[in-house]
Amino acid sequence: MRIRFLHTEAFRLSAIYAGIFALSVLAMGSVVFVMTDRALRDQVVQFSRADIAAMRNGFDAEGVKEAREVLQQIMGKPGESDFFLLQKDGVPIAGNLPAMPARGGIVSLPGSGPGHDILGVGEFLEPGLYVYAGSDLQRVHATEEEILQTLAWLFALAMLLAIGGGTLVSRSFLRRSDAMARACRAIMDGDLKARIPVRGAHDELDRLAGTINEMLDRIAALMENLRQVTNDIAHDLRTPVSHLRQRLERAREESHDAKDYAEALSAAIEKTDEILQLFASLLRIAQIEGGARRADFTQIALGPLLTHVRDMFGAVAEASGHHLELQLGADVTIRGDRALIIQLLSNLIENAILHTPEGTAITLLLSRAGERALITVNDDGPGVPREEHTKLFQRLYRREASRSRPGYGLGLSLVAAIAELHGAETSLRDDSAPGLGITLSFPVTLQPGAG
Amino acid sequence: MKILLIEDDRETAAHIVHALESQGHSVEQVHDGIEGLAQARAGEHSALIVDRMLPGVDGLSLVKQLRAEGRQTPVLFLTTMSGLDDRVAGLEGGGDDYLVKPFAFSELLARVNAITRRHGESEPTRLRAADLEMDLIRRTASRGGKNIDLQPQEFRLLEYLLRNAGRVVTRTMLLENVWDLHFDPRTNIVETHLSRLRSKIDRGFGAELIHTVRGAGYILRAD
Repeated sequence: MRIRFLHTEAFRLSAIYAGIFALSVLAMGSVVFVMTDRALRDQVVQFSRADIAAMRNGFDAEGVKEAREVLQQIMGKPGESDFFLLQKDGVPIAGNLPAMPARGGIVSLPGSGPGHDILGVGEFLEPGLYVYAGSDLQRVHATEEEILQTLAWLFALAMLLAIGGGTLVSRSFLRRSDAMARACRAIMDGDLKARIPVRGAHDELDRLAGTINEMLDRIAALMENLRQVTNDIAHDLRTPVSHLRQRLERAREESHDAKDYAEALSAAIEKTDEILQLFASLLRIAQIEGGARRADFTQIALGPLLTHVRDMFGAVAEASGHHLELQLGADVTIRGDRALIIQLLSNLIENAILHTPEGTAITLLLSRAGERALITVNDDGPGVPREEHTKLFQRLYRREASRSRPGYGLGLSLVAAIAELHGAETSLRDDSAPGLGITLSFPVTLQPGAG
Repeated sequence: MKILLIEDDRETAAHIVHALESQGHSVEQVHDGIEGLAQARAGEHSALIVDRMLPGVDGLSLVKQLRAEGRQTPVLFLTTMSGLDDRVAGLEGGGDDYLVKPFAFSELLARVNAITRRHGESEPTRLRAADLEMDLIRRTASRGGKNIDLQPQEFRLLEYLLRNAGRVVTRTMLLENVWDLHFDPRTNIVETHLSRLRSKIDRGFGAELIHTVRGAGYILRAD
């Protein structure tokens, strides 16, 4: 954890911020220090100048004696300079400093020891008569040290905050990226349902996690689809293939003449065709679900298309004692694959014809609701119990009641796949009227000038 | 007819050759696209049967190449791919018809007959068989001078049968060409419409024109 933490992006960023922070605190501290130092020294010089001014006043009024008097008066008083010297021609007259080379202006002297150097001002009262007043810088140094110490504490505190904050931020970041990595690893290990936790903060990590989760959902759906197709093929081809085998075996055992053989062979070919048909349907569904066909979409006027479908199945429905009626409530144009829409409608109508008793009325209905085109295939037959509604569109789901009829239960899953490809929603009528009603709601193409 | 078969699966090829030869056609067969292209350029064939997936040059490119060279020999594509897209691509690439494997031999024979007939024929505006007549411009049909009222889909059905008069058309050919259906419906669309059509054009007119060919399809024939 500790080592890994050093390699995180968040740590790198917080280290950079801490560095910048430290530099700015240092720069500010230096400025404060230099300005304080200057102010303190200025103060010392001011004191010296004031003391010297007092001595000059004494000298100007009453000469050397008075200057000496003033010096002795102010020496040792608190709030005044610490060190004084009055010397004539290099010989000290008064003060607590030894003789020194006479220099005017601001003069620094080495003091009694390290940190005790003296800052002061020298002046000639008259040629040869030199006066000096200065202070021990030890107090200035002490104040400065205090300031330095405070700055150091501030610096330490700032660094602590920067590093601590950075650590907290990067640990939280690390925790979340670890959670992502864990989820990914779990998925790699086979737990396809694992998802990246979303904190609900709507931040960029949440958005990333959300996007990854959506991607995983999509992949899972495709995988599930693939898995199901594989399972379906494995399980559902087994049955017809074993039937075929049984028939062939029986033909070999029981056929007596050429006619028997010919019949057995015809039956076998028919069975084989059924198997191939099942294969083709499964492949077709997989192909449609793959979505590759969207490139072939064209504008389809649904009115003429539904009329074509009605003409195609009207006679068929009548021949089996059903009644097929077309109700065009609106002519709507959608974008889609004409051949697939025809296949979808054929499937629904054929279902209605094949799974309802004679005398059932089947209605094919086109209407428009806002931006959706609604195609409904409705019948007043026995219908499907509500608890079976959700299963209807599953691949290879066959209602118990229809198992004796030909077919492999792929019709409605093909419908579902085609609907999905077209962005259409499928819904089943849910009222007390008899029969089954399936409505497909397609997004309508905006007519030029209508939008 | 002299037919060139370009098919890399030798077992399928042998079956097709057998079927075509049993109908009196002479068949030349090659097993890859490069040789297929060479043979198609070298000889005069009545029809080409071309598999879509071939080693060397694939079937679609082969036919596109031939068409680009101005060769109009009718082409029937064979494929194991069942997607509608492949069919459309095949027809757009210069194929005349498209057959998905596996197929019944009757289907293959009917389609080969249909593409060789269709080729090079100008589009007539009137079709006739015995005393049955169709005017494709005015969209009328009559038999023995008596007008017959046909629904649009019955009209297209009769038109297709008449265009192929004297030749077997299969149920799948009718589904594809009359109704534009490229899947096998579970209801008897073809049978129902044919029976209606028959009742209109054959009933009460003496000789029947539309005949069912068992195991193969239908034929419109004036005996």
